[in-house]
Amino acid sequence: MTTKPELKLGRHLLPGVVALALFGFMAALVLTSTFGDPAGFGGVDSVTEAIGYSLFNIEAETVPADTEGFLAAFEIVDVVLVAALVAGVMLARREVEGEVVTALRSEVDERWGPEETDGGRRTDEQGDRR
Amino acid sequence: MTAPLEYYLLLSAALFSIGLFGVLTRENALIFLMSVELMLNAANVNFVAFSIYHGNLTGQVFALFVMALAAAEVAVGIGIILVLYRNFGDVDVTVPTTMRW
Repeated sequence: MTTKPELKLGRHLLPGVVALALFGFMAALVLTSTFGDPAGFGGVDSVTEAIGYSLFNIEAETVPADTEGFLAAFEIVDVVLVAALVAGVMLARREVEGEVVTALRSEVDERWGPEETDGGRRTDEQGDRR
Repeated sequence: MTAPLEYYLLLSAALFSIGLFGVLTRENALIFLMSVELMLNAANVNFVAFSIYHGNLTGQVFALFVMALAAAEVAVGIGIILVLYRNFGDVDVTVPTTMRW
């Protein structure tokens, strides 16, 4: 028997009215205001190239005049991404029988059996896998 | 030839409202994350639209940074959801009420 997704209706959808009201408000705001013609990138041949120059604060005539350099923001985002990576590793820790097990652990405890990367082949007591 | 700015703004408002709807009505933490992504991407659409409106590339470059921050946010968010699932056996955000106070 195949099943299809069903729309679950009920009282839990009630707070969503706030989102709908917000959309109505924003749509009314946008539709009642007048915007001029967009300025466009008149003198720019390749937007991608100009983005690349702007990302690393490189002065080039292909970049529109009033575009800032973003090297500082680039480095800050780098730090943020590293922090997120570290946070991910920290959150992946777990505690097994009072001992903290991290995702960076390399040796395999015998509690979880031999490592299965060799097909689960057992080694004897003198083996160097301990 | 570019589309009028109003269309971009309407698309962005719709995306943001869909994201807000998801955050307000759903209880699954993974759908929460997806809804927050929708809201961030609504901001991205606005950045790019106003970038061409002003003839200034700043918005397009900043949209790239928003994407990088969204990636970091999802990395931490999925880590938190994993811990949530391990501790509560569920990804329902209404279950871990002890973290409220």
